[in-house]
Amino acid sequence: MGETSSVENEFDDWFIESLKIYNNIHEYQLEHPTRVIEWTSEKTICVAGYSSDKNEILELLLPLKLFTDDNQGLCAERDFKVVHGGFSDGSIHCLKHIPGTRYIIVAIDYVTSFCCHELSSSNCCFLLRCVVTNDGFNSNLQVWDLGGEDCDVIKRTGVLQLKSASSDKGVKIAPGLTGDPCVLHGSQISDIQLTELTSGKPLYSLGKDIPDLLSSLQFVSGSVFLACACNGDLYVGDTRNPSGLQNNPAGGREGVHWCMGVKTDLSSSDPSSCSVARLSSACQVVVSDLRDLRAPLFQAQLHVQRKTTSDDFMKVTWAPALDNCLAVSGFDGMVRIYDTASWRPELMEFQPLFIHRGHMMSDDQFDTSSAVVTTHVWHPSRPRTVLSAAVDGSVHVWDWVDKATASC
Amino acid sequence: MPEIKVTPLGAGQDVGRSCILVSIGGKNIMLDCGMHMGFNDDRRFPDFSYITQQGRLTEFLDCVIISHFHLDHCGALPYMSEMVGYDGPIYMTHPTKAICPILLEDFRKITVDKKGETNFFTSQMIKDCMKKVVPLNLHQTVQVDDELEIKAYYAGHVLGAAMVQIKVGSESVVYTGDYNMTPDRHLGAAWIDKCRPDILISESTYATTIRDSKRCRERDFLKKVHETVERGGKVLIPVFALGRAQELCILLETFWERMNMKAPIYFSTGLTEKANHYYKLFITWTNQKIRKTFVQRNMFEFKHIKAFDRSYADNPGPMVVFATPGMLHAGQSLQIFKKWAGNEKNMIIMPGYCVQGTIGHKILNGQKKLEMENRQTVIEIERCEPGCCHLSLEVKLQVEYMSFSAHADAKGIMQLIRMAEPRNMLLVHGEAKKMEFLKDKIEQEFTINCFMPANGETTTVITNPSVPVDISLNLLKREMALGGPLPDPKKPRTMHGTLIMKDNSLRLVSPEQALKELGLNEHQLRFTCRVQLQDPHSDPDTLSRIYTHLKSVLKGYTIQHLPDGTVMVESIVIKVSSSAEEPNTKVLLLSWSYQDEDLGSFLSTLLKKGLPSGLSSM
Repeated sequence: MGETSSVENEFDDWFIESLKIYNNIHEYQLEHPTRVIEWTSEKTICVAGYSSDKNEILELLLPLKLFTDDNQGLCAERDFKVVHGGFSDGSIHCLKHIPGTRYIIVAIDYVTSFCCHELSSSNCCFLLRCVVTNDGFNSNLQVWDLGGEDCDVIKRTGVLQLKSASSDKGVKIAPGLTGDPCVLHGSQISDIQLTELTSGKPLYSLGKDIPDLLSSLQFVSGSVFLACACNGDLYVGDTRNPSGLQNNPAGGREGVHWCMGVKTDLSSSDPSSCSVARLSSACQVVVSDLRDLRAPLFQAQLHVQRKTTSDDFMKVTWAPALDNCLAVSGFDGMVRIYDTASWRPELMEFQPLFIHRGHMMSDDQFDTSSAVVTTHVWHPSRPRTVLSAAVDGSVHVWDWVDKATASC
Repeated sequence: MPEIKVTPLGAGQDVGRSCILVSIGGKNIMLDCGMHMGFNDDRRFPDFSYITQQGRLTEFLDCVIISHFHLDHCGALPYMSEMVGYDGPIYMTHPTKAICPILLEDFRKITVDKKGETNFFTSQMIKDCMKKVVPLNLHQTVQVDDELEIKAYYAGHVLGAAMVQIKVGSESVVYTGDYNMTPDRHLGAAWIDKCRPDILISESTYATTIRDSKRCRERDFLKKVHETVERGGKVLIPVFALGRAQELCILLETFWERMNMKAPIYFSTGLTEKANHYYKLFITWTNQKIRKTFVQRNMFEFKHIKAFDRSYADNPGPMVVFATPGMLHAGQSLQIFKKWAGNEKNMIIMPGYCVQGTIGHKILNGQKKLEMENRQTVIEIERCEPGCCHLSLEVKLQVEYMSFSAHADAKGIMQLIRMAEPRNMLLVHGEAKKMEFLKDKIEQEFTINCFMPANGETTTVITNPSVPVDISLNLLKREMALGGPLPDPKKPRTMHGTLIMKDNSLRLVSPEQALKELGLNEHQLRFTCRVQLQDPHSDPDTLSRIYTHLKSVLKGYTIQHLPDGTVMVESIVIKVSSSAEEPNTKVLLLSWSYQDEDLGSFLSTLLKKGLPSGLSSM
């Protein structure tokens, strides 16, 4: 009895505290948890289930309240709208929207093929947006068409067969940024390949025998991409030049898993200005930039008590509209925001700028101590707005109060 | 084939104006009788001509059921019963019966007194209509007539909201009305047993939404109130006496206690008493926590919330006031609004829907300058102190709109399907185009059909009701005595008996028992037929030959050659005759009772083939 009330008190305390520390917070409960949140337009996101059999891919419209800055009070709309939905029979571990299209590409874990989902042929005009998804344990990518106004069902339009389906670890995807819809994908460094979506034709493949498992993959310009191996090694590739792959060994410790977050500034033509943050399963963050990936610009030891031994959900991302800030999640039920401006080249412990504890404060019967955040994304233009999801199916949209400005 | 028909008159693929016709087992039921709040013309009422073109409503409908007191579910009730004309029973729960007429009268006042509309129902009509209401208790089966029964289940949503099960024989339909699958501060969550209805009719207003949590809504509310009070402003919350107001009071009371806030909170005069009265009356309809604490402490008697006096509105400093009515169309809430509207430090929080034409509706649409109608102003001049009346009013205070309505979203609909396990699903209130995915989802997950009919469009569902029949023990014993394999529940077996339909039950008994029970005489039914055949013998010889033939064909049957010139096979009599002109053309007369029909037909067919040659006549 006493225990219940202390949990209740903690919950109440957080509720009261939340009045002060958030400008806005919205909490949603999905039927099934997601480990992907992908923007498909300025106002819509895609989420998808990762359970072993039947899963849903949902395109959700964010509430109007999040987009009206003036006269916000008159806008009562605060719910997600399911604008499109589809069914997938595999677990979805990776889902990417292909810019400028209505396509998404997903990686699914049970089939041995890449799937590409497109719109019905009569609706070619909807080839405006698409998404590619990937599930964790098989080399199968699917392309799904999010659909248009006339129907709310997302359909699978194609499957990309991967030749080098040798690895049992999940395929990572990076959608091409410019030109015809294409996707860069791979499960280990050696099988990284660029595939054109419409034809399924390979446009580029690495052809180097580096069996290291891939943990993150991202384009930093039209042709230059970054690949982070699970052991922490960083590779810089150029799709125009198959032989030119630059390796930057991290010299990481054995058994430590790494992933990467890249801050790209697409307005600048110089990809060297982009910052790369690598997060390790030992809760270290190493920041470097493209000019010299070997030497860390600065680094930090994060003070985190891990609640999970799995490295599946580890994620580090740069804030797109807030200088020097990055978000880290995947170790426990929290999302932590750090300001890297004060970080130094030597490894030191730093406190976060802000912690979102909301996923541990669920008022359902769910055991909150076991809550683990599965993923998070930043709002592309609102500086302090983040979306995050957890294993209990919760999705939160929060906009924290900047203490510096709030105090004056 | 038995079937159930569902026709939405106002709810299919349309929001507001709920009204659904259900035909089940020869009974016609109207579910809800709502009004569309966005229209001022005929479109605001459901299209009753669908029924009235064939006759009067009273003759067509067996009953009307109202799910809850919101006007989009009961607003057209007086129009239907008093203006179109319906004299049959109207069922609703006790709380709905208590609150519904207050809301209807309120709405009538706005429409007729403020907007000056004619051709609308009168106060008397509301009273007359309410006389036709029969109250329902939760989980109580009510027999509408010999065959039709209804039962109410808890729906959450608002005080008194119910889902109803309609049953005729073994066929049934469940209608949800508006419901809520998550409990809140004053109401519980909807619940229904695994009643496996043939059709589950669910609202789907929020079927394509994933709702923001109640907690975040409450947080926003508290944040706004807190901020305003902190900067010394006044907060006005126009409410309807019942419903969300109690929930918000409980919330503010808790918050004030916790934060040690000092600013006064007022409840407009009469409101607390009225609300308390209803909540005491209907305490069983609130959630468990409130029911539990009610014994020790009345949740609706507040420490920080005090009764409001008109003079308080001019007091300096921050305060929070709950005042009626909710749409700012008259009374105390409007008076306070006029006093506070000019100060940008103040705030008004509208927690609910506002009808077109009301001040509430205007300010929610961002109108910053309000022209007060003359009529209204005159009334106000009489009521207010001099100097506080304006012909036009500038709205400088902050306007906030917060919806606390409790509806089931996609997840809630799935939960309810899992609870009730219907054989078919029917969604009303939504847009079909936007619900294809949900339909697919329901059909895939539960392997049931999902329908989304438009207004006036009928969905027909074929049902396969199982009809239970009692079999008399004697008949069963007799069947057993006849031998054959022992009865096996998995294998059907043919048996003979007499079906008696009496006193709403079906029984299978032996013919003798049926005759005895029903006091009937037994009638003998005999078939006779003539068969012609060529046989160049004398008539007695032909008869002997038939006897011999049958003896050889029908082994194990009793066959007798009687001295009166007949052959009898069991009860079948065979005679032979011929005419003098054609002595070789024999006419055989066969006669048998109904019980020996099988054997009789067999014999006639056999004899038509003629007699084999070489039969001895002895």
